[in-house]
Amino acid sequence: MAFNILIVDDSAIVRAVITKALKLAEVPINQLYQAGHGKEALAVLENDWVDLVFCDISMPVMDGEEFVSAMKENGMIDSIPVVIVSSAGSEPRVARLKENGVKDYIQKPFTPERIREVVDQTMGVIQDAE
Amino acid sequence: MQNNTHETAGSTFLNVVEQLTFMFGESVPKSELEVDGVEFTLAQMRFNGDLPGVLSIGVPSEITAEIAANILGLEAEDIESKEMKLDALGEVLNVVCGHVIMALVGTGANFKLDSPEVKAITEEGCNELILNDDFTGFILDDSPVLLGLTLEN
Repeated sequence: MAFNILIVDDSAIVRAVITKALKLAEVPINQLYQAGHGKEALAVLENDWVDLVFCDISMPVMDGEEFVSAMKENGMIDSIPVVIVSSAGSEPRVARLKENGVKDYIQKPFTPERIREVVDQTMGVIQDAE
Repeated sequence: MQNNTHETAGSTFLNVVEQLTFMFGESVPKSELEVDGVEFTLAQMRFNGDLPGVLSIGVPSEITAEIAANILGLEAEDIESKEMKLDALGEVLNVVCGHVIMALVGTGANFKLDSPEVKAITEEGCNELILNDDFTGFILDDSPVLLGLTLEN
């Protein structure tokens, strides 16, 4: 099964690095979507089928925490797994994000192996639930 | 206290830069930095929360392409976009900042990072940073680098 993946980060270089890490980790990808902040990401989710979201915390317009809260409000967080990729993930913030439905947290800098591990765990949970 | 803070910030900076860009460095006295005639790019970002302040990284503009290339696993010649070079330095600062705050306050720190601002600075501006006690000096892959940490408390 190949996944439709959305990468949300205001840095183009981080979006490129996550894309490269997904490919190096041989994560099967069908479609890759990108957004520069949470508001753009919500627009993608409203228009396209997305299996998994990688999202930064610190972003302009709508940050990662606001994005996750919006996904919780509209119920999307229950069906679309979100993984936070950030360097701003202190323990209380990660705990708060997980309480709001975030599946996992990847600390920057990261390796392709860590990306693969999280994809396997996160999508495995969803497949088991089905 | 201030020396310990800057030592912690410096060692965290070197560790993160090594992991993120595969560039290796060491702390040096600022008097050893050769910056005459070198065009610098300065990235700065504010952070709020338990430990409010500003973190800055100044590097020779010519190594921003190498930083971007190393992050992406490419050759420096492949990085033509100025935006990509500035974005790369901003991202390095972003990652260093999160790690520095947690190294200083602990992993339970409550903090929020603003977006990095990246700009070119003049030789005069660079010399002002060297005289600023909030800045420490490093050599990163043979290039002079400045790390600034200004705490508001």
